[in-house]
Amino acid sequence: MTGGSLAAALSEIVGARHVRTALPERVTYARDGLPTHRHVPGVVVLPGSRDEVVAVVRLLAALGVPFVPRGAGTGLSGGALADDDAVLLVLTRLNRILAIDPKNRLAVVEPGVVNVRLSAAAAPHGLLYSPDPSSQTACTIGGNVAENSGGPHCLKYGVTANHVLSLEVVLADGRIVQLGSPGGEPWGPDLVGLFVGSEGNFGIATRISVRLLPVPRAIRTLLADFSALRTAGEAVSAVIASGIVPAALEMMDQSCINAVEDSVYAAGYPRDAAAVLLLELDGGREEAVAADAETIAGILRAHGARSVLSAADAKQRERLWQGRKKAFGAMGRLSRDLVVQDAVVPRSALPDVLEAIGRIAAAYGLTVSNVFHAGDGNLHPNISFDGRVPGLKARVDQASGEIMAVCIAAGGTITGEHGIGLDKLRYMPLLFDGDALAAMRAVRRVFDPDERVNPGKVVPVHACREWSGLRIADRGLRIEERGRSLAQSAIDNPQSAIAPRGAR
Amino acid sequence: MTDRGGFEGLDSCVHCGFCLQACPTFLATGDESDSPRGRIELMRALETGELAPADPGVALHLDRCLGCRGCEPVCPSGVRYGRGLEAARALLTEHRGVPPLVRAALGVLTGTGDGSRILYALTRLVRATGIPRRLVGWGRIRFAMGMLAATKPQGGGRRWRAVKGGAPATDASTALHRPPPPSPALLFRGCVMDGLFSHVHDATIRTLQVNGYEVREVPPQVCCGALHAHAGLRDEARRLAGTNIAAFGDDDTPIVVNSAGCGAMLKEYGHLVAVGGRGEAFAARVRDVSELLAERGPRPGAPLDVTVAYDPPCHLMHAQGIAGPPERMLGAIPVLRVITLPDAAQCCGSAGLFTLVEPAMSRAVLAPKLASLAAARPQVVATGNPGCLMQLGAGLAAAGVPAAVRHPVELLDESYRAAGYYA
Amino acid sequence: MSLVDRVRALLGEDAVDVAATRDGVPRVAPGSPDAVALLLGTAREEGWRVRVEGAGTWLPADAPADLALTTRRLDKVPAIEPQDLSATAEAGIGCDLLRQQLADRGTWLALDPPGLAGRTLGSVVATATAGPLRQGFGPVRDHLLGVTFVTGDGRLVQSGGRVMKNVAGYDLTRLAAGGFGAFGVIVLVHLRLRALPRADQTLVLEGSREDLAQVAEDIAAAAVQPAAHELMSPALARRERWMLAVRFAGSAALVSAEEAALRAATGGRFTALRADEAHALWMRAAESFATRPVTFRVGGLPDSSDELIDLLQHQVGDEWVSASPGIGAIRWGGETTVDRLRRLRRTLAGLEVPLTLERAPWPARAAVGHFGAYREGVGPLVAGLRRTFDPGEAFVVAVEGTE
Ligand SMILES: Cc1cc2nc3c(=O)[nH]c(=O)nc-3n(C[C@H](O)[C@@H](O)[C@@H](O)COP(=O)(O)OP(=O)(O)OC[C@H]3O[C@@H](n4cnc5c(N)ncnc54)[C@H](O)[C@@H]3O)c2cc1C
Ligand SMILES: Cc1cc2nc3c(=O)[nH]c(=O)nc-3n(C[C@H](O)[C@H](O)[C@H](O)COP(=O)(O)OP(=O)(O)OC[C@H]3O[C@@H](n4cnc5c(N)ncnc54)[C@H](O)[C@@H]3O)c2cc1C
Ligand code: SF4
Ligand code: SF4
Repeated sequence: MTGGSLAAALSEIVGARHVRTALPERVTYARDGLPTHRHVPGVVVLPGSRDEVVAVVRLLAALGVPFVPRGAGTGLSGGALADDDAVLLVLTRLNRILAIDPKNRLAVVEPGVVNVRLSAAAAPHGLLYSPDPSSQTACTIGGNVAENSGGPHCLKYGVTANHVLSLEVVLADGRIVQLGSPGGEPWGPDLVGLFVGSEGNFGIATRISVRLLPVPRAIRTLLADFSALRTAGEAVSAVIASGIVPAALEMMDQSCINAVEDSVYAAGYPRDAAAVLLLELDGGREEAVAADAETIAGILRAHGARSVLSAADAKQRERLWQGRKKAFGAMGRLSRDLVVQDAVVPRSALPDVLEAIGRIAAAYGLTVSNVFHAGDGNLHPNISFDGRVPGLKARVDQASGEIMAVCIAAGGTITGEHGIGLDKLRYMPLLFDGDALAAMRAVRRVFDPDERVNPGKVVPVHACREWSGLRIADRGLRIEERGRSLAQSAIDNPQSAIAPRGAR
Repeated sequence: MTDRGGFEGLDSCVHCGFCLQACPTFLATGDESDSPRGRIELMRALETGELAPADPGVALHLDRCLGCRGCEPVCPSGVRYGRGLEAARALLTEHRGVPPLVRAALGVLTGTGDGSRILYALTRLVRATGIPRRLVGWGRIRFAMGMLAATKPQGGGRRWRAVKGGAPATDASTALHRPPPPSPALLFRGCVMDGLFSHVHDATIRTLQVNGYEVREVPPQVCCGALHAHAGLRDEARRLAGTNIAAFGDDDTPIVVNSAGCGAMLKEYGHLVAVGGRGEAFAARVRDVSELLAERGPRPGAPLDVTVAYDPPCHLMHAQGIAGPPERMLGAIPVLRVITLPDAAQCCGSAGLFTLVEPAMSRAVLAPKLASLAAARPQVVATGNPGCLMQLGAGLAAAGVPAAVRHPVELLDESYRAAGYYA
Repeated sequence: MSLVDRVRALLGEDAVDVAATRDGVPRVAPGSPDAVALLLGTAREEGWRVRVEGAGTWLPADAPADLALTTRRLDKVPAIEPQDLSATAEAGIGCDLLRQQLADRGTWLALDPPGLAGRTLGSVVATATAGPLRQGFGPVRDHLLGVTFVTGDGRLVQSGGRVMKNVAGYDLTRLAAGGFGAFGVIVLVHLRLRALPRADQTLVLEGSREDLAQVAEDIAAAAVQPAAHELMSPALARRERWMLAVRFAGSAALVSAEEAALRAATGGRFTALRADEAHALWMRAAESFATRPVTFRVGGLPDSSDELIDLLQHQVGDEWVSASPGIGAIRWGGETTVDRLRRLRRTLAGLEVPLTLERAPWPARAAVGHFGAYREGVGPLVAGLRRTFDPGEAFVVAVEGTE
């Protein structure tokens, strides 16, 4: 079928207004929140209901056309991009909140509902939707489910996967499946858990049931500032070991502080600090939260905080948080282009890893700003650069690779919340061997045998081991050791380690 | 003006998407091409030449931008969307000229010639017959009738009244507001404002006088040029700016404006007319009427028993960053209740000529606002921009919502009248 | 060569313990993850049918198989990291031993699975059996950072990792947790820990079920946030009447504030238990389920908890019941028939409530299946996943029944 007749067939289903074929229109969909990747989709279609999604998917299945689901396009791994032989299926019009059930503390939404709107709708019932990615004013719940998004408050309350009860999914062939149960107990194997974080590779979530939590009655927000990055990192471990679980524990370094303070979201962070920690304690009881906040403030001071400020009122608290949440956007002030990285390390490794990142940045002559979920050990080193300078982007990529290798060597992983998408494909073989990758691919094929939904993402196909093969040779090294030696080779020789290794 | 004509304002966009939900057209269609981020992508491609201004796909989505600049205040990177848009529209206009409908509208609305004067006079005559009120509806003509009806000067009539016996400013407060020696202010009249809202000018002059200003007229002024700039007619806008700069002289007397759209444009003169810093100096003098009034209190008037939904015009709130002063104006009227709707800050879809040239999108943008107004049932919707007054007035009438539209300064004027300040 | 000889040749003399199974199935205890992989790879080639056992003490070791693979020699704890609040443990470690080692380092795994104290970590993960602490700390899967398992054709598959957040690739950990061993033998588990609570307080209230259900609602309405909030049948609680047991764990300030709130919300009717009493209460309740021939769990909506217990009482009796009304989870134990179980599952499915059979003699397991009466479209996916991870059907697991 030619592009024109495909568009005509799609128009029959969703109406011509909701099919986009002109080049300029498709160009506006060529990127997501990580603008370094650019892929212009063949056709863009915006269905308005679950039934239209099913009809569109059936049509595409009949024609064997690949397609890519897209929410708000704030993803940070190039996940929501389609090539020109594929259809981009945009879910922003499926934006109804179908039910809020205060008694059972749950909500049922369509995938295009914007994260923050759900919390707003739940607020009159004294409830909120807990996962709060910094992009929450823009990103969709469907995208959150696909990426298993986290946010500052996931330290205490868990990431998206901990809050999804059940899902309605349209598979690649147009079949509808109901995963999980209304109360959240898996029905059979935990397919909801498997789907969450599958980056749109297992089908399209068209209906999502999530847990709501009571709005905490007592909140303390603390801002602690440090004169060295290392001290701040050590203070994080001390807080974690105290046994008091903060709702959130975020860190920002000086370069990030300055970017925020220069923006409309200036929060009053001290510009002369090497790093600040933003902590929040919350709970149902004023006395308990106040006492815990005292304890934590004491720990912070004992571990080198120059000062610990407690937000005086809701307004100041909001301001402190806005600064944090818009920090990534504010980086636009530092330079023309930005690569945001996402890695997780054991929390006790933070001080060393932060220093190592600083050394790598210096070696490559790059500016790296850190703003991240310190309580989880989830780092976001952001590299600012000007893509017009010849050769600079290549240097940025090299530095990124080295940073990843350092994180893996520390026992960490290559993404804590942004996903693999296109951007991290090349690092997957550093983390998983051919069997693990092949297992992932095989699971994906149970849902999507032709690998037609969001093709080319998440699993680097060339690095998968043959799955139907029988025996495995004696594998000398244990998994952990294997990971470490890999990372070591990546550090020694970043270029070769990042290049796909092929089947091992 | 810089050599890149305003496109440089888009450089800092990091594609984060924070602006999406602040954009009324994106909310209406869910389509990235109708979003700030998508339009920035288009404008960048226009600048680099990757996309041609002749491409209808480009024009469609840039034309559908309201220019409301709701996307600017939420942008953490400080993208100057408005600057970029003007540059892009100039490029489009250079290529395709001005669409006939826009050209015609500009001619009659913003002209200074006899044509405009006769047209405005005729329009006022039609308005006086009361026929437009009876014709309002959703079609293009019927909506236009609604817009016209909304420009009619009216008091509260039977719908609300000054509260009897409510003390009109005690001695103490009079003492407090004893006018200092009157300070001068120059009134910017504009085109549509002057043609259809001269009663708002009258109210502006009176209320400012009560607060210690002496308002002077500047006869040789012309249209601010906002509609021209939005239509991509930069040179015409620049020419109008030049005339105005000359007309208002070189001293530092404040220039008072009661149309948010004009105010936003006048404050951009620095960017438009860079020569010799004259535009800059002019822009620094421009003040919205609410700013001047808020500076002096303003003096409290007599109570009005009325519920008002304040709807901040985009060009006041987003473009000029003025949020508090209008509320202080309404706060100076005892008893009057202000309700704030959650989506108040969102555009009404008027956007200059937008409502005429992109009626479908304009109505789609207006719809959610009408729905929340219908639910909240205020007696008055107050907003400080002629386009918004007409758009909201027509929309409310067409939807059968029994609320009047007023410029906030009209309400203050009414309160002052009841207080006997004009006696 | 006989099976036993082959295995001995493969894994060494001491890996096979022929005498130990009552039904005469040779029991093999590989000493390392790689040995498990080697064994299962061979099993796949030879077409052996394998049943997986942990400590093998509680579940009737009765599934028909050519060999029993026990994880009991996989009992090392390679890492406990108190500053990171994470640990790595092999699947065959007993929960009691693990708990002790964790406590020595000031850490805690906030899971209190049913069964005897010595059941293996692997079996808890494989069967996703969480106890009353699921109210405050979530189901088993919430405590897992990563899992390494060996598939039916002998591949060692690593999923997740050992850091707090990880979205690299699909989360296969989710299949391992609660897959009842159908997708592979779990060999290594990375755990999310908590600091050992500074304070741990249990309070109880006895009464009629109706009365206690009302109290449970009051507690929820007052937004009390307990670690456990369990309604137990008289037999389970070893009391005359039903019992509502509420447990708080955390900082001293938190526990005392929550306790005060509980008292305020319920008119001070609860009695606080001493530490030893509390320990005995929770422990006995957990063990009781291991002494009943059949156990299952159902998960409904919180506000249907009461009706679900009524339904259970009506169809299978309510002698051994433990419910978390705050989250709609119920565990049932006792004696019943295949037909009743099937009928109950169908009835519950009509209410959109899944029944997971946790424990039963093999004939009943085989007939009823751990899972069944799936919602739309799920059956083919489960079948596809099984084929993927166990292409030769080496594992003897009653995933679905034979209805
Ligand atoms: C009340 C109750 C009922 C239970 N009912 C059942 C039941 O019907 N079926 C059942 O399979 N388990 C069941 N279990 C889980 C478990 O078998 C318990 O009985 C447990 O207490 C015994 O622990 P164990 O270490 O002796 O495990 P075992 O009884 O030896 O093993 C239990 C099962 O768990 C799985 N398993 C154990 N370790 C691993 C591993 N490392 N990798 C993959 N799978 C593994 C296997 O399927 C094995 O058959 C039940 C547990 C309880 C508390
Ligand atoms: C400034 C900024 C801050 C951010 N902060 C965070 C943060 O704190 N934490 C965090 O986790 N992430 C963060 N992100 C990343 C991003 O916002 C999240 O990944 C978000 O969940 C993406 O949602 P989206 O609607 O934009 O999805 P998209 O980007 O449109 O899509 C993301 C992926 O999901 C798939 N997808 C979308 N909808 C569906 C569906 N209904 N069914 C199946 N697949 C679907 C797409 O195919 C794609 O692979 C941030 C991004 C930005 C720009
Ligand atoms: S908010 Fe600003 S930086 Fe972000 S996409 Fe919009 S314009 Fe670009
Ligand atoms: S100016 Fe208004 S309509 Fe145009 S992109 Fe910005 S928010 Fe949208």
